[in-house]
Amino acid sequence: MSWLRYFKVLVGGAILLLLCVCGVAAPLLAPRDPQAQTLEDRLRPPRWTENGSAAYFLGTDNLGRDMLSRIIYGSRISLMVGAATVIFAGFVGCSLGAIAGYFGRTADDVVSKISEIFLAFPFLLIAIAIMAFLGQGVGNLIMALMLSRWVQYCRVVRGEVLSLKERDFVTAAKALGGRDFYVLFRHVMPNTFASVTVIATFGMAIVIITEASLSFLGLGVPVHIPTWGSMLSEGRSYINRAPWLTIFPGLAIFITVFGINLLGDGLRDIFDPKLRRQR
Amino acid sequence: MGKGKTDISRRNFLKRSALLGAGGLAAPYLSRQSFAATRDRVTIFHSSVADSINPYNHSSSPIYGNWQHVMEPLIELDYDKKDYVGVLAESWQFQGNKWSFKLRKGIKFHNGAPLTSKDVAFSIEKMRDEKGGSLQAPNFKDVTEIQTPDDQTVIFVTKQPLAIFLDRLENRFILSKVAGDKFGDKLYENPIGTGPYKFVSYQRGGNMVFTRNDDYWGGKAAIKEVIFKKVTEDAARLAALESGQADFVNNIPVHEVARLQKHPRVRVDQVEGLRMFFLAFNMTHKPWDNKLVRQAANYSVDAPAIVKNIFDGIGYPCNGPVGANVIGADSKLKRYPYDPQKAKQLLAQAGFPNGCDIQLYYSAGRYPKDREVCQVVAAQMVKGGFRVELISQEWALFWDKQGVNGGRLPFYYIGRGSLTDADTLYDQYFRTGTTKRTNYSNPDLDKLVEEQQKTDVQKKRVAILQQAGKFIMDEALFIPLYNLADIYGVARNVVWKKRPDEKVLGWDMKIK
Repeated sequence: MSWLRYFKVLVGGAILLLLCVCGVAAPLLAPRDPQAQTLEDRLRPPRWTENGSAAYFLGTDNLGRDMLSRIIYGSRISLMVGAATVIFAGFVGCSLGAIAGYFGRTADDVVSKISEIFLAFPFLLIAIAIMAFLGQGVGNLIMALMLSRWVQYCRVVRGEVLSLKERDFVTAAKALGGRDFYVLFRHVMPNTFASVTVIATFGMAIVIITEASLSFLGLGVPVHIPTWGSMLSEGRSYINRAPWLTIFPGLAIFITVFGINLLGDGLRDIFDPKLRRQR
Repeated sequence: MGKGKTDISRRNFLKRSALLGAGGLAAPYLSRQSFAATRDRVTIFHSSVADSINPYNHSSSPIYGNWQHVMEPLIELDYDKKDYVGVLAESWQFQGNKWSFKLRKGIKFHNGAPLTSKDVAFSIEKMRDEKGGSLQAPNFKDVTEIQTPDDQTVIFVTKQPLAIFLDRLENRFILSKVAGDKFGDKLYENPIGTGPYKFVSYQRGGNMVFTRNDDYWGGKAAIKEVIFKKVTEDAARLAALESGQADFVNNIPVHEVARLQKHPRVRVDQVEGLRMFFLAFNMTHKPWDNKLVRQAANYSVDAPAIVKNIFDGIGYPCNGPVGANVIGADSKLKRYPYDPQKAKQLLAQAGFPNGCDIQLYYSAGRYPKDREVCQVVAAQMVKGGFRVELISQEWALFWDKQGVNGGRLPFYYIGRGSLTDADTLYDQYFRTGTTKRTNYSNPDLDKLVEEQQKTDVQKKRVAILQQAGKFIMDEALFIPLYNLADIYGVARNVVWKKRPDEKVLGWDMKIK
């Protein structure tokens, strides 16, 4: 059923692409300024409901801001934070993991101990601690998420490298006079690519949810930048009166995470050597 | 260890289990019965109820309200008159560094002993006993001696003349010395006061029960039994009220009010709370050293609109520097009207024709809807020509030496609780050197604040406070916003006298 594999990748990729377009073209797509408050129009329901107004397709929030525009702008933060975290965490984690796995001994001890310390803390807790310490801001948020995410890459890459370095092709490369770093990055690392890609996609979904959780707790990006998490957080006390304040950002998070997971799932199927052999 | 006491036969075990099971099944019905609103009992679920059997082990208004059922103070603040009235004390005099109180005659404790000046001295000794767990000792830090020349007279000698001593004496409750001598260490388990109710029982985290004192000197209360229970979860208190388990609960969330008002058995009562919210400038930071900029900020914030839209109208915008219920309030003062054009003009005059960049600090989650409030303030100020960056800090950071109290924050959103007297606010925020919260220093204002603190005639003192208030408004030393409401949920058949200080008092209630 190989078409199903590509189907997952295609659908997941399409969702992600759509989000990227939303994020990049937000100023063109959003009907209104996501910050503009019209207090007289607060808590307007979505357009298709009884009291809906044509001016606000998804209704307005508790401060009279356009929900649709805020959701479109919110995709920027989710994607930016997700992508940046995955890239930085992946870079740091993979490098340290490769060094630890390949060189072993002291390098391995030091890296492993550090990663164990990070692993000992629950992921969200460490992110909360770092945000409370650094203060609000997109950069700080990415930093906090990265510090709590790099360990996963590190552990996986270390494990893979440990087994790969015993393989014959590595011995051959060394026998031909390849220097350590050359062998590591030319021959060993490319073989970890499949697993890292899979972790990265799933990791991105986790990061997007964590960003939403931190924003929900008021520890994410500054309050004037619309994010799905902070929209959920502000909307929750109105859940009886104005459920659209929580439904739409919740839906946005759900669809994004679903798309990314689908993509990651598809990629794993494609990269999985056992499945590849069956082909 | 040998055989334990738990040696029971299988038959016995089954018997007991069956009994226990039947009891467990019956319990909810029995307790529901017992909580049904009768004329004789009121059940109050409150977010704050005494945490200790020691009545002096706190300094919190709702808990003063608990103990006031049993024990009474010498004087108390009458919120209608905005002045102190005697409770156990009949009259008092302030002269030099002496305050002397004449006690009411004919008052008897619950154990039958008459009230004398010895009881007052004894109780205050207990309040000063910090090792014994009292948290009320600081109120007497300026008192050097307590004299009891006769049974009806108590004289407090202070280090220097202390006009504001009555404020310190509020909520200092008097216990019986006779009971103290009798019970010794067990005194707090047997609190004997003069109050309208007698103490029945206290369980930490459980019920606190009072029963009526039929011989009360001030006339018998209407309700026979008062039960307090501490329930901190808003939703749980609300559910208890709606199901009839409680007759009276506090802190109804604003967004539940509209729904609750339609409830057949429940009423929502709101009282202007004593916590005042405002935006404070630290005047050593630019641009807030400039009076024109401060006035521009005042013109650009629309507090009534915030109350209307964020708090569904359940709040009280301040007209002037303090809320209307506060001693020293002045009905002649008006807040700066919302006028963004005027704000822009003033900013231009102050040298900011192209607008002015500012930061607004707050601590998200500390106060009701603070995040929303600050976002609205920011949007309003943008219309007045300010460019506002919002910065939320964790409370400890916000409040401590790194923040407000170190004079580090130029502009911030804050609430001042238990504000019954304008003196507290003016002294803490605007008098030279009391705190670094605004770093304001002006000898004229200092003189007014100090003068009223030495004045013992309340009317004169209020007049000086009003003068200080006018000064503060003219100089635009801060942006007063509003007092929020204390919102109570009350069974419809309960009548009570609303009060702003968060105390819930059984003798102020009646059940129809």
